[in-house]
Amino acid sequence: MLLELKSVQKRFGGVTALRDGSLSVRAGEVHLLMGENGAGKSTLMKIVAGMQGLDSGEMLLRGQPVRFANPKEAAAAGIAMVHQESLLAPHLTVGENIFLGREDLAPFGVIRRSAIMERAARLIESHGFPLRADWRVEKLSPAGRQLVEICRAIASNASLLIFDEPTSSLSESETREVFQIVRTLKQQGAGVIYITHRLEELRTVGDHVTILRDGATVHSCPLADLSRSQLIQHMVGRDLGALYQREPIPPGKPLLELRHLQRAKILHDLSLTIRAGEIVGLAGLMGAGRTELCRAIFGIDPLDSGLILVDNQPLPLHSPRDAVSAGIALIPEDRQRTGLATQLPVGWNLTLSSLSAHSRFGILNSSLLAATESRFIDRLRIKTAGPTQKSVRLSGGNQQKIVIAKWVAQGARVFLFDEPTRGIDVGAKTEVFEVMDSLARDGAAILMVSSELPELIQIADRILVMRQGRIAGELPRHTTQEEIMALAAFEQEELSL
Amino acid sequence: MIQRLLPFATLIILFAALCFVPNFLSETNLSSVIRQTAVINTMALGMTMVIITSGIDLSVGAILAMGGLLGAMAMEKGLPIPAGIATGIATGAFCGFLNGFLTTRLKINSFIVTLGTLGIIRGLTLVISNGLPVHQIPPGFSYLGEGTLIGVPFVLWLLLACGLLVHFLLEHTKLGRYGFAIGSNPDAAFYAGIPVAFHVTSIYAICGALTGLAGMIEASRLMTGQPTAGQGYELQAIAAVVIGGGSLRGGEGSVIGTLVGAFIMGLLANGSDLLGISPYWQQAIIGAIIILAVSVDELRKRSAV
Repeated sequence: MLLELKSVQKRFGGVTALRDGSLSVRAGEVHLLMGENGAGKSTLMKIVAGMQGLDSGEMLLRGQPVRFANPKEAAAAGIAMVHQESLLAPHLTVGENIFLGREDLAPFGVIRRSAIMERAARLIESHGFPLRADWRVEKLSPAGRQLVEICRAIASNASLLIFDEPTSSLSESETREVFQIVRTLKQQGAGVIYITHRLEELRTVGDHVTILRDGATVHSCPLADLSRSQLIQHMVGRDLGALYQREPIPPGKPLLELRHLQRAKILHDLSLTIRAGEIVGLAGLMGAGRTELCRAIFGIDPLDSGLILVDNQPLPLHSPRDAVSAGIALIPEDRQRTGLATQLPVGWNLTLSSLSAHSRFGILNSSLLAATESRFIDRLRIKTAGPTQKSVRLSGGNQQKIVIAKWVAQGARVFLFDEPTRGIDVGAKTEVFEVMDSLARDGAAILMVSSELPELIQIADRILVMRQGRIAGELPRHTTQEEIMALAAFEQEELSL
Repeated sequence: MIQRLLPFATLIILFAALCFVPNFLSETNLSSVIRQTAVINTMALGMTMVIITSGIDLSVGAILAMGGLLGAMAMEKGLPIPAGIATGIATGAFCGFLNGFLTTRLKINSFIVTLGTLGIIRGLTLVISNGLPVHQIPPGFSYLGEGTLIGVPFVLWLLLACGLLVHFLLEHTKLGRYGFAIGSNPDAAFYAGIPVAFHVTSIYAICGALTGLAGMIEASRLMTGQPTAGQGYELQAIAAVVIGGGSLRGGEGSVIGTLVGAFIMGLLANGSDLLGISPYWQQAIIGAIIILAVSVDELRKRSAV
């Protein structure tokens, strides 16, 4: 056995990323690691690659217990990882990046640049990648950077290689080349761990599969023993629990309409309609384009073509300002970075988008502001010492309520919730759902992006599933996690088989 | 809260200690402290607003010179004194607008933009004046910098008025609130639908206008439109803001803090003059004070979280 992980646990603050991660990889084997968004795959692999420590559990490499304090130790033990997000030095060349930290050195630490570039060029050529050793990495597309990462991993002559979803940004021919590399590595006797969402790609190369769910290994067996539907069952079996029960109301007139939205490589001919009073769920895997869709509707990213209508009025969407004045609100995925000015008082954040309504000739009406602040703190039950408390001191759930209240105070009617329950404890989740429900009852149109399938099933009136920038299908209320996952992860042709 | 009052306490202790220095409490000395610090104080008020938006304006020294020069030239050409002062302020406002416009439209870091405009404005000032100061100014103009109203220097009233104005802008207007939001988290401000570029540009223009006024005060005190005036003033203005609790990361700063910061520096300079400490040492002392003030403030913030 090349690598064995036994009951690995890892917590980040109060959040448990891994409860019971176990995995055994043989030399000369391609081992697929699968699971939903947030199942703990990347965390487990970062532990193997020395990027993160483990809280408890065992890691054995060739039978010897090991722990890596940093990536360098892991590399010295023969482990290389191809990362999902590029971890390259953008201002250096492709060749320099491939051999970064492993340069040929002349005396006194002088780097033999020409030797490096020559080796890099040979490596690139042998795989037929569309790269050149002397190109600067910052000029490369995400796919190009991914290929550099792959070259870097191969060049390290590692005995265990980890691929974290490397093909999501690659073209078909590049993907085939990556599979060829994986096969070659396998023949050379290396172990390969391959994280993926897309099983169909890997039927041909994979030997063994391990499935993670909610931070624990739930199943591990030879790939051939598992049908697709069995696989989906293992992946999604997340506990539905009794989070929240919502009674949908009869929807009114269409409030938000998207017609044929197009953005190169990100959104493809995307159309949908949300009516007043409706909560529409949007499911999809990482990289399917859900967040990008929200950003486009909110005027952050430009569209190549297509039409966005609010209340039958086509919108000029050049900036969030245009979207806000049309009554669109975005509750972003990344609350701390884009949702809140965390260092400012709660009250200031609450009224940030509605200051015009609280001022005259630019002068703020402080008694009106104070009234609005305390009204929304009460209405959304925001737990705070008062409107002057710094927002950073509040819990995630209460911060989220501030972001929502900001838009309600502004008078928005179309709400885009991007992962509204991320980083929020269970009690606060229910409160956020209650707020969403009451907004819908007041006639708002809500788009809810979520990777938490049980939540989508319980909250949404209907669920749209995105795959690779398209709407792959629509599912009714009370659908199953399996059906969502099948649409999100597999090509239509495969489903009809 | 106690630590937040630290600059204030420092000022009081400094003042109390200086009371033991002969001549410090004399009316002549106190009003000269006020007159000397008025120019930096007025500039620092504008700088406070800019720093709150997490920007910086390195060109204020040059703007001061151009405002003072053009104002003086206007009066030399026969314009009445108020019109001359207005010319100086308008010149400053325009230069500030330019800084804001370039920062927001070209999306270049304000440090770089104002480093560039520092050179451009100073250079143009020298070109316009041919490097020569303007002396033909009506005598009544000296009242602005040297006059007395109800027993105190006129500039103190002016400073109070400007301080109240900036305080009002920061605390009671949309502009100020947006400024804090932009400085605290520019992404969140943009996502909240705030017209970021417009408000940032406005704030640079206001900073420029206050600097233009400071240029007129300087011109009035010297009774000269001096194209080389204000060199290095930008650093003193930034120091006043920072000593008074403003953060170069943005989102923090106040009028009262900045005024306290400017007076701390003014009193230190005055005190060392009276004690006969060399001006060379004064520079070193003020430098050390800046680092001390900011590190104490950092410690406060870290312990508060």
